[in-house]
Amino acid sequence: MKLELLPWLILFLPLLAAGGITLFTLRYRTVSALLSIGAIVTGFVLSLVFINANGWQPSSAESIANWLTIGGLHVDFGLKLDALSLMMLLIVTGVGGAIHIYSFGYMHADRSFSRFFAFMSLFTFSMLGIVLANNFIELFIFWELVGVSSYLLIGFWFEKPSAGDAAKKAFIVNRLGDFGFLLGILMVWGLLGSLNFTVLQNKLTADPAVLGGMATVAALLLFCGAVGKSAQFPLHVWLPDAMEGPTPVSALIHAATMVAAGVYMLCRILFLLNADALHVIAWIGGFTALLAALIAVQQNDIKRILAYSTLSQLGYMVMSVGLAGPTPAMFHLTTHAFFKALLFLGAGSVIHAMHDEQDIWKMGRLQKKMPVTFWTFLIGTLALSGVPPFSGFYSKDSILGQALSQGNYALFILGAAVAGLTAFYMFRLFYVAFLGKPKTQAAEHVHESPAVMAWPLRVLAVFAVIGGVIGVSQTYASQFSPGEARESFGQSLVEPLTHSPAGVLVGLAFIAAGFFAARALYRDAASDPLPEKLGGLATAMKHKFYFDELYEATFIRAHDFIAAVMDWIDRWLVEGLCIGLVRGGTDLSGRALRLVQTGNLQTYAFLFVLGVAVVMYFVLGK
Amino acid sequence: MSILTYIFGWPIVAALALVLVPRNYRVIIRAIAVLATLISAALAVKMFCAYGSAPMDADGYRFVQQIPWVESLGISYHVGVDGLNVGLILMGAIVAFAAACCSWEIKEREKEFYILLLVMSGGILGAFASLDLFFFYFLHELALVPTFIMIGVWGRGERKNYATFQITLYLSLGALIALIGLLALYVQSGANTFDIPRLTEYIRRHPLSVHAQNLIFPLLLFGFGILVSLWPFHSWAPLGYGSAPSPTSMLHAGVLKKFGLYGLIRIALPLLPQGAQGWMQILAWLCLGNILYIGWVAMRQKDLNLLIGNSSVAHMGFIFLGIASLNLIGVTGAEFIMVAHGFLAALSFALSGYIYQKTGTLQISELGGLCRQLRFIGTVLLMAAMAGCGLPGFANFVGEVTVFFGAWTVFPLVTGLALWGALIIGAVYMTRAIRNVLHGPLPDKWAGLADASNLWRKLPYALLLASLFVFGCFPRLLTDKITPDAEKIVAMARGETVAMGSTRLRRVQLGVPPNWIDTRETKVDPINPAASRPLTVSGATPETTRGTRVLHDNSAVALANNTILNQ
Repeated sequence: MKLELLPWLILFLPLLAAGGITLFTLRYRTVSALLSIGAIVTGFVLSLVFINANGWQPSSAESIANWLTIGGLHVDFGLKLDALSLMMLLIVTGVGGAIHIYSFGYMHADRSFSRFFAFMSLFTFSMLGIVLANNFIELFIFWELVGVSSYLLIGFWFEKPSAGDAAKKAFIVNRLGDFGFLLGILMVWGLLGSLNFTVLQNKLTADPAVLGGMATVAALLLFCGAVGKSAQFPLHVWLPDAMEGPTPVSALIHAATMVAAGVYMLCRILFLLNADALHVIAWIGGFTALLAALIAVQQNDIKRILAYSTLSQLGYMVMSVGLAGPTPAMFHLTTHAFFKALLFLGAGSVIHAMHDEQDIWKMGRLQKKMPVTFWTFLIGTLALSGVPPFSGFYSKDSILGQALSQGNYALFILGAAVAGLTAFYMFRLFYVAFLGKPKTQAAEHVHESPAVMAWPLRVLAVFAVIGGVIGVSQTYASQFSPGEARESFGQSLVEPLTHSPAGVLVGLAFIAAGFFAARALYRDAASDPLPEKLGGLATAMKHKFYFDELYEATFIRAHDFIAAVMDWIDRWLVEGLCIGLVRGGTDLSGRALRLVQTGNLQTYAFLFVLGVAVVMYFVLGK
Repeated sequence: MSILTYIFGWPIVAALALVLVPRNYRVIIRAIAVLATLISAALAVKMFCAYGSAPMDADGYRFVQQIPWVESLGISYHVGVDGLNVGLILMGAIVAFAAACCSWEIKEREKEFYILLLVMSGGILGAFASLDLFFFYFLHELALVPTFIMIGVWGRGERKNYATFQITLYLSLGALIALIGLLALYVQSGANTFDIPRLTEYIRRHPLSVHAQNLIFPLLLFGFGILVSLWPFHSWAPLGYGSAPSPTSMLHAGVLKKFGLYGLIRIALPLLPQGAQGWMQILAWLCLGNILYIGWVAMRQKDLNLLIGNSSVAHMGFIFLGIASLNLIGVTGAEFIMVAHGFLAALSFALSGYIYQKTGTLQISELGGLCRQLRFIGTVLLMAAMAGCGLPGFANFVGEVTVFFGAWTVFPLVTGLALWGALIIGAVYMTRAIRNVLHGPLPDKWAGLADASNLWRKLPYALLLASLFVFGCFPRLLTDKITPDAEKIVAMARGETVAMGSTRLRRVQLGVPPNWIDTRETKVDPINPAASRPLTVSGATPETTRGTRVLHDNSAVALANNTILNQ
């Protein structure tokens, strides 16, 4: 393998940047930003160099240093280099790099500018670690680091109570998933005696039944980790709240990094997931996709709509993994990274121009004043809705095709319906926020964002258009189903039609229905007409089906209640009892001994003689 | 003279020297204390770095020094280190230095305070270095008594007197029970020596009767257990730490408390193996009391110091779980947490001490938004809280995860529950504390708070934090030292059963998967018997490769694995 040190450099550059900023350059804003941006952009370039030199499947797949060895526990710090991780490397550094550059403009007025870039670099480092990890503990280490760096970024404006709360919530909900994940790791290690992915895979290939009856349990426990990170039902509640962070953070978390980690992890450990587990995973994904799409229909905050759309798209990806289709899942993850980053950054551009206004019903008619934002956002919307020939069309269609080829018609219809809903809520957003009449004074006086924010939008827009036909899917396929012939550009352009025309047509019909419904309802609307038509359902959607309230009433209450009981016991029983016993005991023996200390010389003499007699008995008598 | 003698000797000598210094020479008093602990810490770092290359004596100890003292009783001055105490001495010396630095908050009767602090530091470092039961115990008591006085005289809060009363009563009781146990051990062994290596060697050849072991082990377990705040004997700890001046909390929670655990591992496990084995199941469940129950109690605390105190008690649970698992991975993990928690507890109490010093309160509801005003202290407190809920990168994570791996092979259910405590409950109370102390709007009354401004003030915090980072990122610095000696302890603690050749116990000792999958072992593939190798072996196979290596081909790895497995 050539240039063996490059992946290490790519991984550690952002950490160096984060450390350098924290220790030395907090006062020099521009230097800090350039360090952070430089680290990630260099990472992107080096990734390209490395792939150019070694191809997508380097001759030696792992590069390892021992981190910890205690008896049978052996943990390496190693890098796994294959098509899956190298492609993710490009996405994380590429899309992440665009977001970093954009942040330079977006965050420029913030007083903690340097701190922001330190956190961003820490986040990038953690995410790259997940991508490159070659064993479970290393993966878990970076998994936790992503959790904490997202905690720091979501709570970046920590003085806002809502930001502090959102950060806390994200951290704890993620920890709930990690609980299952670590348990799963322990179980796999207990059964197979190794943590290294390659070794595990070889063991399972040699003897597929080696996990025995625990296979499904272990797989589902590991899946818990993905449920937390990728915000799948029932742990989806943290993601929308994470919108409290600055908008570039939302773009970073939602597009290329954190939430993608769960799907990536599932693809990485696919060999451990058996059929039963996959079935559960597919349905959880499908259900999340539907649930989130329904909630998105009735949100009014531009970032929250996008947040729920992320949830919904992640549901697609997880569903695809569950349908034994890692290639479509990773394909959709990639195109989604392009257009979701684009949409979030576009939303950020709007929010920036509107002076931190996020309600879409206070915007309107932005195309003249913000042409770059307008057109790029439109491209993002089309791509997300799955309109051909934008990238989202190809990846979404490959997932629907996967459902068909697996013969799972229920999930196929569900997926197609969610595609229709997606088109509906995205065009609702687009019509209300960008077209129609300006709904407030502020919307009439907006300005286009500066070039440092506009150029990342343009670049991402290009990829949102062409992302479906530049061979992403084939690269993943080379990993998951080696041996398939590579398609030419022309073939990949019409691939969906040749592959499963029926699926394409059904999907497109739903999308068209969603688009026309949104057009009819929202083209000239000044307020939302839907609540009147849907009644209670709309209220439930608006309140996110009351999941927050439900968890508040059950999980949180239960823990607080137990804590209160334990505290009471501790305060009154354990402390009282133990102290009481010891004190009482000492007191009692003191009183008892006092009786002996009579002051009477005869008693002392008697006791003395008695003592001597006892000692004599023991010494001489035996 | 052994470097160990200097490490704990300097603080003691400095304490004696301070007696002669007039009390109004404050700067000199303080300088002597800081300097003595600094020398001791520097020597400890030197000792730690030279550990690998230092010559070993026949018993496996390094830097040994022995001077006979009371020969009729078999007492001698005997110091030395092996993997079990090398980390503790390093940690103790660094914490002692940090505590001396943080003592600027003491404004009255400084001379007495520094004398006591130095006696405490020297005593506990000496106790860890001692290889003679008499000095081991005596030096611990020497360190313990100043704790009571310091809380009583320099303590804070309304419940100070009650806390002093409680901690004195409890710890004296614990120490007394442990003393009875140690004396019984001495008498019963018949070896007529207080020397730990001699005693160990003697008992290895002439084990105590099972009856005697069963009587003595509980004395040591609960005697030492009380000193470590084993549930349900924990209630002295949070209140005691909450009321103590922060240097005292730092030294006690960080260093002195580890004495009981060290005693359990060094003395109780290897010398009373059969007594120990019966108690491990119970200990595993008791440790859940620390982890879950105290975790919940911590969620309810309204005072930052009580919260830190409770979380410190909760962390002891992981150490007990590692000990209870009685295998190499678990015991090594327990040793690792002992060191990691020492740094963390000292850091946490130092930080809360700073906040108390500046604000005059530790009521969580009174604080808020401090991260804006106290940028350095706030950031370090945030990191300490994260280390406390087991974030990778900090040493605690390594120890905890190791303990989980060790315990999983023996007590899967307890491990699962402990995991809940580590990942969920810990995260809940720590993030709540951060939210309420550091995040949120800054109340107007704290707008004038001053951060730790100069390098001197930042030093103790930075030092402790750096230690957590170093061992968190490069755990082999410590584990490679611990493992060989932990292996000896575990082998002795399980010695009998290994000799009997029970595969199950053998596997448990190596930290290999438990029994409930063994049924598969009997299946034999008629065509290719090699493919149906016993599962037991597969787990026992340690990865043979170390250092940097490159796997060139997956099939080659598979082949290599099979070769190992079939041996």
